[in-house]
Parts: sequence; C-alpha cells; structure tokens
Amino acid sequence: MKSCIKFISFTLLFLSMFVSKAWAEKVTVITPYLAQPGTQMYVEGFKNEASKKGWDLNIIDTKGDVAEVISRIEDAVNQKVDGIVINVDPSQIAAGLEVAAAANIPVVGMDSGADPLLVTNVTSNGYAMAAETSVYVANRIEGKGNVVMFVFDAFPPVQIRGVIADAVFGNFPDINVMDRITPDVQDGGIADSRAKMEALLAANPEAGSIAAVWAAWDQPAIGAMQAIEAAGRSNEGIVIVGIDANPQARDAISQGGNFEASIAQDFVGIGSATANAIGRAMSGEEIKSKVIYVPTVLITSANVGN
Amino acid sequence: MKILNLIKKYGTLIGFFGIIIFFTINLPSTFLTAKNFINISQQISMLAVVAFTMTVVMVMNDFDLSVGSMASLAGIVAAVLFSMGYPIWIGILAALFVGIIGGLFNGFLVSIIGILPFVATLGTLTMFSGFAFLISGGRTIFGRDIPSEFSSFARSGIEISSLGLKIPFLSILALLILFIVWFILEQTTYGRRLYAIGGNTEASFLAGIKVKQLRLSAFALTGVGAAIAGLMYSSRVASSNPTQGSGLMLEAIAAVFLGMTMSEEGEPRVLYTLLGVLILGVLDNGLTQMNVDSYIREVLVGFIVILAVAFSSITKKRN
Repeated sequence: MKSCIKFISFTLLFLSMFVSKAWAEKVTVITPYLAQPGTQMYVEGFKNEASKKGWDLNIIDTKGDVAEVISRIEDAVNQKVDGIVINVDPSQIAAGLEVAAAANIPVVGMDSGADPLLVTNVTSNGYAMAAETSVYVANRIEGKGNVVMFVFDAFPPVQIRGVIADAVFGNFPDINVMDRITPDVQDGGIADSRAKMEALLAANPEAGSIAAVWAAWDQPAIGAMQAIEAAGRSNEGIVIVGIDANPQARDAISQGGNFEASIAQDFVGIGSATANAIGRAMSGEEIKSKVIYVPTVLITSANVGN
Repeated sequence: MKILNLIKKYGTLIGFFGIIIFFTINLPSTFLTAKNFINISQQISMLAVVAFTMTVVMVMNDFDLSVGSMASLAGIVAAVLFSMGYPIWIGILAALFVGIIGGLFNGFLVSIIGILPFVATLGTLTMFSGFAFLISGGRTIFGRDIPSEFSSFARSGIEISSLGLKIPFLSILALLILFIVWFILEQTTYGRRLYAIGGNTEASFLAGIKVKQLRLSAFALTGVGAAIAGLMYSSRVASSNPTQGSGLMLEAIAAVFLGMTMSEEGEPRVLYTLLGVLILGVLDNGLTQMNVDSYIREVLVGFIVILAVAFSSITKKRN
C-alpha cells in the first residue's frame, strides 16, 4: 500500500512538474555581450524576476555576433516563444525584429536603443550620465586644462556618452580635449587603455600637462589610473572619472586617489524592469512609453561606502 | 563488414542525419519544417560563402586566416561609400575590389615571398582589421547611411506563393557561389591543378604547373568570397561594424575540416564543405530551439568537429 501511495505521489509530482513546464510562458533573452559585467547583471536581475514569474527562460549569448542575434530571433519565433528580449542595437537586427513582429511576438530592449519594432527599451539615461560625469570633470578642473577622453563609438549606447561629453567640454573655452582614444576592447578594455595612457604620459612629461581623464565606461578609467600610478604621477591631481561604477571602480574611488567619480547604473534594476515590461507586453498590455529609464547615482568618495 | 565500411565512408553524413532525426524527435512541430530549413539556409549563407571559397585555398593545403577581417573590411568600405552618397553598385564593386586586392596580397606573401600561409594571413588578419577600424573611425555605420535597397536584399527573396514560402536571396546567392566554386574546382583544368599542388607542390612544379600564379589567384578567389560574405553580413544587419566578420574564419575552417572527413583521400571538396556548414547550422538552430545553454552549444559543436575528424583519421589510418 505504502509503495502504491509513493508511486502515485511521485507520478503526480512528475506530472505537475511537466504540466507547469508545459504551461510556463517561454521567454528568450538574446545578447552578443554576455561577457560584459554590466550585461551579466542585467541578466541576473532578469533571471530573478523571471523565476518569480515561473517563466521558461532561455538566455543566448552570440559572443559579439550581431547577425547571429537575427538568426536566434528567427529560431525563437519558430519555437513559438511568448516574448523576446534583446540587448543589442535594434537598427542592426531589423530583419529579426520584422520576423517577430509578423508572428506577433513582443520584443523588449534591455539597454538596446529605441526602435519602432520594439515594445519599449529599458535603460539608463546615457545622455544624463555623460553630462553629469563630464560636468563633474569640468568643475573639478575649474574649466581649464587638457582632458583625455576614452570613447567607443562602435556601440551606440556608449557613443552617445562621447557626444555629450564632447559638447560639455566644447562649451568650456579653456578646456582642450588633447586626445579622443578608442581603446581595443578585446582584452576587456583595461590593458589597452593603460598602454595608450602610458604613451600619452610619456609624450606629455610636464606636471599638470594632463588635467583630467574622462572615460565613457569604467575599464579605460581604471587603465588610465594604473598608467598614472605606474608613471609616478598620482600626486599631480589628474582627475579621473568613469561610468558604470563597477566593483573595481568603486574600490578605486574608495581609496581617495585620482579616480574620483563614476556613475552607477542600476543594472540589476534594468534587468528586473525589463522582465516586468516583457511580462506586461505578453499579457497584452499596451506600453505607451518607448523608453523606460531606470535611475542612476553619481558615486564619489562621499557615498561609495553606502 | 559492409556496414563497417559504410560507416567509415559515410560516417559524417550518417551523423548529420542522426542529428536531424534527434532534433525532429525532440522538436516535433518546429524543426523539420520547410520554413525552418529555409531559415537555416539563410542563417548559414554568409558562413557558407566563406567556407566554399576557403575550400579553394585549402585544396592546396593552404589556409587563409584573414577571411573574417576581410569580411569586416569589405562591409566597411561599402558602408563608408554609401555614407558618402555613392550609389550601391559602386560600394559593392569597391568592396569586391578590396577583396581581390587583399586576396592577391595574401597570395603574394605566400607564393612569391614564400611566407607560411599561417603567418602571412595572421599578419594580414590584423592589417585588414586595422584598416576596417581606420576607415570607419571605429564606428558602426548604420541607419540612414545604409541605403534601404541594400539592406532589403537580405530581407527579400523569391516568393513561392503556392507553398507560402520565400527563398531568401542570401540563400540563393550562397548556392550560386557553391555552384561557381564547384565548377572551378571540379570541372576545370585550373581546379585539377590546384588539387595537384595540394597533392605534391614540387611534383606539380616539375610537371609544368605554374604553382606561384595559381596560388596567387586562389587566394584572390578566397578574398573575393570573404568580401561577398562581408557584403551579405552588412545587408543582413543593415549596418557595418569593423569587427563584424571576426567569427567567420574559425567556423569556415571547421566546416571544411568536417567536409574533408567525407573524402576518401582527405581532400577538401566543396560539396562536402556544404555538409560541414549544414552540420554547424543545424546544430545551432536545433540546440537553440531546445533551450540548450549557448556555452554548452559551443562545447558540443567543438566536440562534434573533433569527434568527426578523429573518427575519420583513425579509420583512414587503419585502411
């Protein structure tokens, strides 16, 4: 009798698992940038929210290949998923978005850029982040001196940061952007930025010849900081700022050295807000706003410990 | 014994059908459909073009590691010209011209200067990539800079209204390149000479084959193939990025190796390369639909390539 009850309960358990899996809504997240710490945190936030909602989640990393994002969207549409989330410039994957639209599958962008084929895009305000950090630099150097910029125009969310910083620095007649560097990001962005900064320091050996380093994300700022320390020029007061406030940047800021500020995006918050947005879209709700901004915070030595 | 011979000869093909059956069972309603296979044909079209033309140099036991960078550079050249207002045909011709020049340069380094293909094309890989960054200023060129007629090519195809299907132009173009490469390699004296060089370079030279010129031209063909793939990629993503083709090279070589396991002499044959490309494409598509983690997919694909080549190598040694 006991074994009979055991058998029935196991069968029921198995069936309930199978049924819940079969009924679970299928959501596919596709990104070419899963190796990036920020993307990993978006995905973490998304996963947490998805597990609460009981979704059957598939996360796909195309390892930098944008055309493969289109292919994987086509596969997901074929698979008849309920919703798709992308983390790549939507204008480059219009072919895939059109396939999803034809199949009436909602697609939400996770820090991807706005597009008419997306239900909405959940992101931080890149313009505001670049404005806040570049104005911080301009104020700290009292509106004069040579500034080194680290940019990456190939990736639209980072490209807009550079555009804003250009405008801010251009508005100060005594600020001179002495170099606008695009580092090689294949090694993560630190090593090549450090090498480029070392070359600039060697070319400008006089104290005070470089007033500040503005970086469109944290890794080049860290590379620049390492170059300045290695050159023994930490006490010249070169101001360094980054964007993203990753753990390494926070650690540097907390030490009160040249790396003075960064801006914290709420990556996990973007992930969970994206999950909420796709959930609403899958339930048939019309999302009117084409962009949903998640708030950011300027991190300095004053609040880095919070 | 006959069965064993059959497995030895057609192991890779049997494995391919095994994969198809596996996915058909696990994805009964979505895998074995005409729409899905048309999708796959479109997804693999760029890799296929690179792999088909890579076969041309691999026939001579050479390699071209620069195909991915060349695909990026060709796409960037076309996009920059589009952004400067030049008509589409000029952008395309310029990209193809860059492909020929880049390929000839590879051929020059390998056949005239005598640098090992691995080293020469590793150098040009970096050079072409540097040019792509230089010309584009490191930017992705997209939006209004890319003419809609150019990007719509990758989204269009020949409609078969009776079946409700559309054969994408990208797939048709890949098939056309397959036919051209097959014709050159299998139906012309030129192709047979390339195989002769692969069999024994010195003997070919002594037999009067113009080894240097043929190697030079073969690299040019591979360069053009990479440029075509770059243009296809740019059309598909409606943009050009200086790193867009970087994933193509290793997969193209893997596809040729997978195909080589079908050949009794272990030579690259372009129709077998097609099988290699299909295996990679079907695995990607099926494993994605089965929600298999993308990193596990990567490990599995690598494992299958090694397994196929190892199996073929062991059975041939025994023979």
